[in-house]
Amino acid sequence: MKSDEQLMLEYQGGSPHAFEQLFERYRNPVYGFFRRRLNNASRAEELAQETFVVILRDTEHYKPTARFRTYMYAIALKQLWSERRKEIRDGKLAAAVLHEERPQGDPETGLWVRAALEQLDPDHREVLMLREYEQLSYDEIAEVLAVPVNTVRSRLSRARVELKSLLESQSARGVSQ
Amino acid sequence: MSRKEHPVWEEELMPYVDGQLDAAQASEIEKHLKECEECAAVIADARLLSKQMGTWVVENSPRGMDEHILSEMEKKKGRRQQWAWWSRNRSWAFGLGGAFAAVALMVVLMPSHKDDLSNHFGDASRSVAGQINPAPLQRPAMPQDGNQQGQQGQQGQQTLDSLLAKTLPAAQSQPTAEAPSGPMIIRNARLSILTKEFEAARARIQAIVQQTQGYLDQLTVRGETGSGKSLSATLRLPSSQLESGLVELRKLGKVLEESQGSSDVTSQYVDLQARLTNARNTEQRLLALQRERTDKLTDVVGVEREIARVREEIERMEAQRKDVFNKTQFATIQVELSEEYRAEIQPSAPSAGTQLHNALVDGYHGALNSLLALALFFLRYGPALLLWAIVLVPVALLLRRRHQGLRVG
Repeated sequence: MKSDEQLMLEYQGGSPHAFEQLFERYRNPVYGFFRRRLNNASRAEELAQETFVVILRDTEHYKPTARFRTYMYAIALKQLWSERRKEIRDGKLAAAVLHEERPQGDPETGLWVRAALEQLDPDHREVLMLREYEQLSYDEIAEVLAVPVNTVRSRLSRARVELKSLLESQSARGVSQ
Repeated sequence: MSRKEHPVWEEELMPYVDGQLDAAQASEIEKHLKECEECAAVIADARLLSKQMGTWVVENSPRGMDEHILSEMEKKKGRRQQWAWWSRNRSWAFGLGGAFAAVALMVVLMPSHKDDLSNHFGDASRSVAGQINPAPLQRPAMPQDGNQQGQQGQQGQQTLDSLLAKTLPAAQSQPTAEAPSGPMIIRNARLSILTKEFEAARARIQAIVQQTQGYLDQLTVRGETGSGKSLSATLRLPSSQLESGLVELRKLGKVLEESQGSSDVTSQYVDLQARLTNARNTEQRLLALQRERTDKLTDVVGVEREIARVREEIERMEAQRKDVFNKTQFATIQVELSEEYRAEIQPSAPSAGTQLHNALVDGYHGALNSLLALALFFLRYGPALLLWAIVLVPVALLLRRRHQGLRVG
């Protein structure tokens, strides 16, 4: 199987099939990235599309020295921040992370995790989500967020401690009810 | 609690959970975990938390995304086609432009060489050989520490150094015998030599290769009537032996041409190493994930697929890294050896008997060939001639008879 970077170079060389493969490989991860961070499913779809469109339009700017995943999530994050700025401007931003409907999978735990994540500090939450859901390495997270690796490490550690205590308190409340 | 009392901070445990440590660091933490229940509990909590987070699953992307992306690709294709000519020929255009500029520069800067080139071959050889600088190409010494390289004012190196700095702790702890301690240079040289003793020179080349513990990559010997023999060989000598090898090779005869070159692949090598370290970390993380998340078949299959991809990437980069490393260890010398040709007296003409025999054989072959040619002629044109004869002979006879009838009348 060809690496993302190879496919991207092939697409730069004029092979549309290479980009189709990349799109097929990352359509769900990129959609999931926006879906977990936005309330609106159709907006998540639009932003996922827009991320791929930006990659397509700026193909020439991609250099194989950067990992494709890092490059792609950096673009996705920019889209997300821009969306949040727009929401703030329009006064729509209620919660940065939340679905209105119940998520798939284990309903109880999924709901609790979602609710607990919402209460985390936004910076800590972003690092934790990039690590757990996007499966980025510490170096990649540092590159995407433009922060030092040690900052990633400390934020991740704190986010996990906070989330654990939030889940425990929710669980205790659930048992008492 | 001080560092002395408790050698591992809680923050240091997270990279272990996430598979972000190299093997040596991970084994240190594992050793500590056997003794420290507190840290073992932190690890267990983090893994449980990761599992809990994994239960938040979102639906797959809608298929409607495809249309939009495909239409965007079509647009892009259209734009590309507009610029296709320039894209296809850009490198040629730049290359040709560069070549013209280089030639123009050479003509302007070295007018005296024109005379040399127009001279007799031997004179030209002497003049070119006289200009050879036997000293190797000098490169500025580079600092031994990879972190200091970026301070040389080279902008391109800065990104690389930051990458190196990020991966340095991991790289240091790994047993990397091939890690660059200085600049990594691929060296090559080309020698064109004219010799009187061709066979001796050929044997000497093989002896030089053995002495320097190198190897003969390729060897071709040509010998044509009316000219001397020639040899083309590619020698791979250990880089440290390049100078001594060249000194020995120059002794084989008159050096007609010599050139040396080098390319610095330090950046490429360091980049490959950094990418390799990252890929290995990713693989470790994925393996940890594979051990942890066994609740859904699709997740397991996805992780296994990703592991296979990363493994392939690691193997590819490892092969590239070894190739670059090997190239820096062995310098390439291209040797073109030509024999100084001496015309030989032709052997005496064959005897009269042999000449007569040869003439007879030639005559026999000539007769046979002419018969064959005649047969071929009739076979090829006979049917057409016969056809025309059938048409024309009765007409001719009729005309003749009429002519005779008129005369009698």
